[in-house]
Amino acid sequence: MNPALTDKRLLIVTGKGGVGKTTIAAALALESARSGKRTLVCEVNTKERITQLLGKPEVGPEVTSLEENLWAVNVRPEESMKEYALMVLKFESIYSAVFENRVVRYFLRFIPSLQELVLLGKILFHLKEKRADGSFRFDRVIIDAPATGHAITFLSVPQVIVDTVPPGAMSTDAAWMRDLLVDAKTTAVVLVSLPEELPVNETLELHQALKDRVKLTPRLVVLNGFIPARFTEAEVEAPTTTLVHDTMRAHHARSKLSLASQKTLQKLGLPVVPVPRIFGTEFGRAAIEQVVALLSGADS
Amino acid sequence: MSSPIRDAMATSDVLITVGSGGVGKTTIAATLALRAAMEGTGSMVCTIDPAKRLANALGLEALGNKEARIPDETFGAAGLLPRAPMYAMMLDIKRSWDDLVERRAPPDKREKILNNRFYQALSTALAGSQEYIAMEKMWELHEQAKYPLLVVDTPPTAHALDFLDAPNRILDFLDNDAAKWLLTPALAAGKFGLKLFNLGGSYVAKTISRFTGTETLQQLADFMLNITSLTDSFRERAHQTRSLLQAPSTAFVLVTGPMPERVDEAVYFHTLLQQNKMRVAAVVVNRIHAPVPDALWDEVARMGGPLQARLEQTLKENDLLATQDARGIERLRELCAPTPLVLVPRFELDVHDLKAVWETSRYLWGEAQVDAAKATR
Repeated sequence: MNPALTDKRLLIVTGKGGVGKTTIAAALALESARSGKRTLVCEVNTKERITQLLGKPEVGPEVTSLEENLWAVNVRPEESMKEYALMVLKFESIYSAVFENRVVRYFLRFIPSLQELVLLGKILFHLKEKRADGSFRFDRVIIDAPATGHAITFLSVPQVIVDTVPPGAMSTDAAWMRDLLVDAKTTAVVLVSLPEELPVNETLELHQALKDRVKLTPRLVVLNGFIPARFTEAEVEAPTTTLVHDTMRAHHARSKLSLASQKTLQKLGLPVVPVPRIFGTEFGRAAIEQVVALLSGADS
Repeated sequence: MSSPIRDAMATSDVLITVGSGGVGKTTIAATLALRAAMEGTGSMVCTIDPAKRLANALGLEALGNKEARIPDETFGAAGLLPRAPMYAMMLDIKRSWDDLVERRAPPDKREKILNNRFYQALSTALAGSQEYIAMEKMWELHEQAKYPLLVVDTPPTAHALDFLDAPNRILDFLDNDAAKWLLTPALAAGKFGLKLFNLGGSYVAKTISRFTGTETLQQLADFMLNITSLTDSFRERAHQTRSLLQAPSTAFVLVTGPMPERVDEAVYFHTLLQQNKMRVAAVVVNRIHAPVPDALWDEVARMGGPLQARLEQTLKENDLLATQDARGIERLRELCAPTPLVLVPRFELDVHDLKAVWETSRYLWGEAQVDAAKATR
């Protein structure tokens, strides 16, 4: 595990849409599990992809063991709502009488941000969950969070509820969730970016917004799809045929952009880990294993 | 050369771009508006994407809640001379909600609504609220009839569905039997002008308030009571936006990338649009890697020297990307039939100025084509 993350129990992986957040979340989860940490990786109400990337069957909304030290879940609002309601109400019979009433269910959908709160609540509950011997059930929880704008909305929900909702079970829960999220000793954000101008700019904006508005602490930037230099400037400039020249120039331009992106991102004052682009027609377990190796290799 | 995009533009006054995050949807929206302006159709591109990408794509510093005309100098710098004006805006969610309340709520309710904590959450942080306000804005802009072509950009997939559903959701919220039944004591109290009301009557309300606190329900009731004054206009608007989305003069442009996970999402979205009786003009497959021409393989095979191995590696990588893309294109062609595909190549550098946007438009317009023969071999 990257030194910036070793002692963190909650990792939130986010970035622009399409930068490979899920890939990085899956790789970090595998790396964490292999380092001996009992790790839970969570997707948030989405088309499940992590299990597929790891070559496992879908797990759905139940926390399910994938392999040694590794569990996965795709949290969904309906099931999370039920779990949450049961925790507050203690009795299944009351839950069924009230919450399985269609009318009430309808109503609950409209309590501002309750859906996001229970999704986040379930994830953070597992972070606090303890075993009979008093140790944590999971040493580390990794969230494959939504993309930029939605990540900010999602992660701000506890604070918004603390600010909006008068005292009650909901605001009490929102408060401890907020406290966990902003606790820099427990929680770290991993920003994923691509070596292109727009994703890099968005990473800078996201970093700012997470720090200032959500009060979260980004610790690491993963620069996915990095193209290492292959041709020297002189080789690119040397006379040759148009086709060969274009091939070298295109590669060279991309590798220069990769380097420039890395430099720009380093201005954030965080470690920037380049993960070279992986070429292949199938993107699955083998590719994730490669990413794990690349992430770990970057430690030394 | 025929182009489904060109046909769609000739027959539509609203184009809506939809698709997953990171596929270049905002750029495609800007491209459509630019092309229209160049062809002499005044256009407006409106983005609701939370990230500020459109300004970037248009070479503008920032976009605001007001419609801004793209200055002539920006076009000039890109060597372009549009025959009609092009406008752009980015929705400010909070401002748009406030405008809406100020315009539509009765004067005695305005302050109460604007100061209610639920309203504040609704207008700033509530998931789904930006989708609703975007629909509202789309309708308003369309109604003004100031722009012959309106291009509306939407947030990424999961939320773009909310976008289609937004008018109905807000109606459910405001005009819902469940809410009315639950809050009847409070609503009745409000109507009779009592300042304090009691929710304690119902068992269900009691149980829910264990969750949310009693005060929350009271505030919610208060909010609902005040905002009911807007219900009729919301209901009317919901029907109007729905019919605008389904109108023959509205078309959707589904934007995707050719990689497998994007293809799955695009197919899913295409199905949903069709189920909802929305017209999909084309699937734009963006950033396609070109296959390596045979002549180049031959040349590198013959060249020898220190560069050969590295060049072969580069060609191999390029071909892998092209093969993967070709497979994605085939799947899209099959699973989205009979909707036509429009292929746009990957450019050497990211598209982030008007010149590059213009170059992209040539592919949308059918003036330039990706080497499809080889891409689909």
